[in-house]
Amino acid sequence: MKHMNQRLASSRSERLVDAGIVLSAQHAIRFPGGLPGFEACRRFVLFAPEGASPFQYLKSLEGPPASFLVIDPRRIVPDYPCVLAEHDRQQLGADADSVLLWLALVMIEPDGTIAANLAAPVVINPAGMIGYQLIPQDAAYPLRHVVAGPDYPTSE
Amino acid sequence: MLVFTRRRGETIRIGDGIEVQVLRVGRDGVRLGVVAPPDVPVHRQEVYASICEANRRAANPVPDLVALSRRLPRERP
Repeated sequence: MKHMNQRLASSRSERLVDAGIVLSAQHAIRFPGGLPGFEACRRFVLFAPEGASPFQYLKSLEGPPASFLVIDPRRIVPDYPCVLAEHDRQQLGADADSVLLWLALVMIEPDGTIAANLAAPVVINPAGMIGYQLIPQDAAYPLRHVVAGPDYPTSE
Repeated sequence: MLVFTRRRGETIRIGDGIEVQVLRVGRDGVRLGVVAPPDVPVHRQEVYASICEANRRAANPVPDLVALSRRLPRERP
């Protein structure tokens, strides 16, 4: 019942998303270490609500409920370097030829500013359905890269 | 907390396969070398904490993704 109430309280688009997409375990992407701050979230699904491109959602299937809005960092910085060190590739069971998914976490700030975390992207190996968040020693891009200013309201 | 006195070049061993070696001791800092298995993440505490904080800020639900996607700069052809 509590779950239903939460569902009813959520926005319309969120309900459509939940109605239209089966969030089953077979689509789960494993995050062996969780995400920093969400270490108990070990399985996520990635899905794209209709019309929301280029945004996608990364939603936790276990641990505390957490949904992250994500975007390919190259959509924001076209020459963003999607290059993994050997050590990082091993984490994902990937080799140099593996096609990997790169996702920057998006923040919608209280004043409507859209910012993306380009310092610590999430990288997913679709072949192994395994992902993790890259934690760079010396990030060339900021944790908070402003994509759009606060001028426009996010709600109708 | 366990407290050790170590000199330059000396190492502390933690569990199976983790070593922390003192490489250099300066006036304001100590340079450490860490050897750890690939599945043991090693990070500077403040870097990890700042990413935790950024993730918590990113974990907010978004009301209208379609409207949001319209606010992005246009994609280059």
